[in-house]
Amino acid sequence: MTGNLNLVGYGLAAIGPAIAVGLIFAAYINGVARQPEAGNMLRPIAILGFALAEALAIFGLVLFFISPK
Amino acid sequence: MSFAALIPSLGSLSAEGDGGHFPPTPEGFWQPLVTLGHIGDYPIVITRSMVVIMLSVALLSWWLVSTTKRAAVVPGKGQHYTELVYNFVRNDVAKDMIGSKDFLRFVPLLFSLFVLILLNNLFGIIPPIQFPTMSRIGFPIALTLVVYVVYHWIGIKKQHGFLNYVKWMIPPGIPGWLLPLIVFLELLTFFITRPLTLALRLFGNMFAGHMLLAVFIIGGWELVQADTFALKFVALPAWLMAFVMTLFEGLVQFLQAFVFTLLAASYFGSAVADEH
Amino acid sequence: MLQLTGVRALAASGDSQASAPPILPYLPELIFGFVAIGILYWVVKTKVVPNLEKAYAARAEAIEGGIAKAEKAQAEAKAALDHYNAQLADARGEANKIREDARAHAAQIVAEMRAQAQAESARIVESAQKQIEAERQQAVVSLRGEVGRLSTDLASRIVGESLHDETRQKGIVERFLADLEAGEIRPVKVGGTDS
Repeated sequence: MTGNLNLVGYGLAAIGPAIAVGLIFAAYINGVARQPEAGNMLRPIAILGFALAEALAIFGLVLFFISPK
Repeated sequence: MSFAALIPSLGSLSAEGDGGHFPPTPEGFWQPLVTLGHIGDYPIVITRSMVVIMLSVALLSWWLVSTTKRAAVVPGKGQHYTELVYNFVRNDVAKDMIGSKDFLRFVPLLFSLFVLILLNNLFGIIPPIQFPTMSRIGFPIALTLVVYVVYHWIGIKKQHGFLNYVKWMIPPGIPGWLLPLIVFLELLTFFITRPLTLALRLFGNMFAGHMLLAVFIIGGWELVQADTFALKFVALPAWLMAFVMTLFEGLVQFLQAFVFTLLAASYFGSAVADEH
Repeated sequence: MLQLTGVRALAASGDSQASAPPILPYLPELIFGFVAIGILYWVVKTKVVPNLEKAYAARAEAIEGGIAKAEKAQAEAKAALDHYNAQLADARGEANKIREDARAHAAQIVAEMRAQAQAESARIVESAQKQIEAERQQAVVSLRGEVGRLSTDLASRIVGESLHDETRQKGIVERFLADLEAGEIRPVKVGGTDS
């Protein structure tokens, strides 16, 4: 069995942001469910938070590609 | 959408060596069409993505100009669709993120970014083209550099000078011993994290999504060519999965165009805001 | 599939780009990216957005203008309604007046007609009476003449002498009649029984 340990590393690194993105959208859905009229105000905030959390996964992707194979 | 139509272009992803090797590799995204020459070892070629992005620019220019040339108070069908997208960018993205005072001067750039990214992303699943331009990192970097330059430019102009700009980045009421750390983090955010994530998010999503589709479709193809009947049969669920993933990709492609535009708008918005 | 062989050929010729990490940009693509967004931005900025914003402004203006126009039309309609109502009231009053007039006029006409008819009837009655009177008079005169002639004839037959002398005859008859009226002569039976 051959492969690259980078892959496993990236997979592990993606867990954190995945949970973070899940939490952010869970909170967003919760907020909208409680107060539907706040949906428009919450959406940009949720997407910004999602973008910030996802940045970590993106750094992982970069490191996956730039690390020596 | 027929899978048969999907296969030829995606098949090229695995076109390394002889025959299709199953795991599609990043090398598959390098698709030169016309070689113009070499500078040293550096090849100067027209790649598939260059053709696609120019096609998208031509299509978008034609559509936008032809539907808005005689923009009427009561819109026709074409104008209606254009206005649907334009309204979305203008009101839901630009106005919400930048504020109704300054947003109008950013609308052309945001609208161009949105439609260019959206169409190029959707080309990733539209049969005759089926190549997401943004999976070649040069394009996201180009778009991000435009955003980067614009938001720093307006920020520095608004704060009258670079030092004031840096001073403005720091939230008030920070204790002295924390100041160097905060300055470092803010500079990192403004000058490195923001552009890097903006470009790489778009690239990563398009790259990974296309790779995923290739895995299912080429994998199915490999299974069909297998010797045993059982393996041939498994190709069907693989292609079904490819179909589902294609729909999912459509959603992701729209979402990435939206997120890119939204983040660009929020950077512009924070640059024209009075307080950090 | 031609394209595939092209890719393979390039890859086989040791293309430095094929094996480069995918997060390193290929410079011509970067430049194409700038050119693409530049062209599209120029098109959008000069041709698309101004037209759309103009249409938006025109639309907003049309809506606001429409509201103003509707308000004006409403005011006009209200004025027209008032005017019409006033006219209607006038017309109603006028109609009442005309009706009253007509009634009065009719009564007057009836009265006049009645008076005229009465006058006419009175006139007719009077003329009829006059005529009757005249005819009676005539009858009396002619009867008187006839009675005179008959009596003179009778008398002359009896007397045997002609009394046809005009003057005498007249005098006798007149005298006789006068006597008769005065009651000096009793009517006597001339002959036979007379009831």
